Amino acid sequence: MAQDAAVQYEPVAEIGGGAYGTVYKARDRQSGQFVALKSVRVQTDQDGLPLSTVREVALLKRLEQFDHPNVVKLMDVCATLRTDHETKVTLVFEHVDQDLKTYLDKAPSPGLPASQIQDLMQQLMCGLAFLHSNCIIHRDLKPENILVTSRGQVKLADFGLARIYSCHMALTPVVVTLWYRAPEVLLQSTYATPVDIWSTGCIFAEMFRRKPLFCGESEVDQLGKIFEVIGLPTEEDWPTDVTLSQRNFSPFSNRPITDFVPEISHQGADLLLEMLTFDPLRRISALNALDHLYFQEG
Amino acid sequence: MTQNGFCDSRPLLDLHKKTEERRAPLRAWANTRGPKERRSLAESEESRGAHCKTTPESRWARRMPVSAEDGIIMGYAEQNGSKDGREEEALLQCLHGLPGTYSWDIFSDMLRTQSHYTFPSTELPSPFTDSTRAIMVDWLIQVHVMFNFSEETLYLTVHLLNRAMRQIKVSINNLQLLGIVCLFLAGKKEECLLPEISELCYLMDNNYSKRQLLRMERRVLCELDFELSHCPPLHFLLLTASIAHCSDKMVWMARYLLELSLLENQCVVFQPVQLARAALCLARVVLQEAHSPESETAWCIATSLHICSEPTLQRIMHILAVTASTAHARETRASFVKFSTAKTLHISSHPGLQSAPHLLGPGGAQARPQAREGALKGMRAGETGQYMRTHT
Repeated sequence: MAQDAAVQYEPVAEIGGGAYGTVYKARDRQSGQFVALKSVRVQTDQDGLPLSTVREVALLKRLEQFDHPNVVKLMDVCATLRTDHETKVTLVFEHVDQDLKTYLDKAPSPGLPASQIQDLMQQLMCGLAFLHSNCIIHRDLKPENILVTSRGQVKLADFGLARIYSCHMALTPVVVTLWYRAPEVLLQSTYATPVDIWSTGCIFAEMFRRKPLFCGESEVDQLGKIFEVIGLPTEEDWPTDVTLSQRNFSPFSNRPITDFVPEISHQGADLLLEMLTFDPLRRISALNALDHLYFQEG
Repeated sequence: MTQNGFCDSRPLLDLHKKTEERRAPLRAWANTRGPKERRSLAESEESRGAHCKTTPESRWARRMPVSAEDGIIMGYAEQNGSKDGREEEALLQCLHGLPGTYSWDIFSDMLRTQSHYTFPSTELPSPFTDSTRAIMVDWLIQVHVMFNFSEETLYLTVHLLNRAMRQIKVSINNLQLLGIVCLFLAGKKEECLLPEISELCYLMDNNYSKRQLLRMERRVLCELDFELSHCPPLHFLLLTASIAHCSDKMVWMARYLLELSLLENQCVVFQPVQLARAALCLARVVLQEAHSPESETAWCIATSLHICSEPTLQRIMHILAVTASTAHARETRASFVKFSTAKTLHISSHPGLQSAPHLLGPGGAQARPQAREGALKGMRAGETGQYMRTHT
């Protein structure tokens, strides 16, 4: 509604220097409510606002009609002209105080109880199934952009922004974490919704371990760490459209996942392996994951 | 497209004066398009045809029988006072059987969300009147034809215009700018190829600068809150027509009548599904095609979902009938010209349209449900399904 976000929202604090620019916590001057402001500058050339921005913001607005409990609420969108060639688009989201990373850090030893992990996972999967059924790939799921409210409600944030941000991202020299990247992304092969399932699998393991599962320092290192756990895929499973060869990696054979995630239940381990399947086509979908026996464990 | 390409056939807009000669023949504009066309009317018609042609077996096996998940449709029907569940059941079966995994979800979502796209009243803020709006829409239809945009884009354009006219304060001098921005934004949402802004300015006789256009674009987006989703009534029309096995002629007639509804500000209060149904019902009345018992049954199934009261349906049909009967003589005749081509089976010149309002009497309103009973007599829902299976 507002033409100028600066008028309606009063910044309170900087809450993150994410890959896509600074995120601010702000107060809505009218309602007193806290919100999260994410701004992106888009080049407005002679064709006006880019098609991708128009479409994706419209899609996010459309999602609002469903009012899904596990995705963060988009409350407002503002577009302000900065110069003749640049428009600032500000997305105003509901503000949630903590993300999954702080939530895990704060959990008293020995970590989250199994039932709570199950509940968090179920909510995560619900949100993901909802996004995927609306043709949205998150592409950058990690504990930092999974929000957890004080009542334990999971809300996915930062989805659907990848393309809006992409032009901006090329300009910002930021380090994007590789730890939750799916192998097909690391290999620069084609990818789709399964990439989010991979990331969720990594997060699932992290909820038990309280530390990340694969902490690679480069794309190749990240892949090496992955194969140490799931084993080196066969030549036939290796995607054909990539430059990196399977032979560049040491021939690890897979080890029991419980070596890495000891506390996980039998069904949990089964689901985790389904999520950490190398071949994206054989990786479980969010909808099928919700039907997995793990979620029926009492 | 070069500017010269449509130099002579540029549709002009004059919201103040009434001039007959300002309207150039539409076919000429269409010819200015090169071969790189995206979707032409003929193609979308083809794809509609393909939509009807379904693989016979799998489409029936896929979904479970009517169950709790059908709450929306059933709830919708009950809430609207429908008594006979038999035909609805057959309709549900049809929908479950439509090709593609998501037909059912999409249809129920369309029904659920369509009320977002209606307006509480027909009132327009001054200085706008129904007739300035109609002239505006008519001009947009001409520009839309010229760019060879998809039909969805046109319905979205007019929907955005309806919202923008109510929400954004613009003078009558800027209405054209507002209109073209609605078309431009609808294009950004739906199309792959967009015209350049300079082309748009040229179409408006360079009355506005590029800068003004871009400023208006931002303003419209902000005021409309970036909400560009829509549920075009055309989708309901094509869905119903495919279930009812309507003839090509009937579909073109209904599409023409539905497009005429865009010109009528009175129609903004009706739901997309209601407009689509009214267009189809009126097309049926006008064309008076002979119906076999089978086609009668298919029609009954397709129209079994109770969407509004009979008087409401009659009211919409009446509005459309009056518009259609005078369309050839009106000043706003872009749709009339558009639907007079061979491709559209010269449908807008159909003689039946002249007397359309007279065909709708109170008698006609009552005859319909009776005919429907008769057609379904002795036919159980299962057999209806059997029929649908063997005839698709």
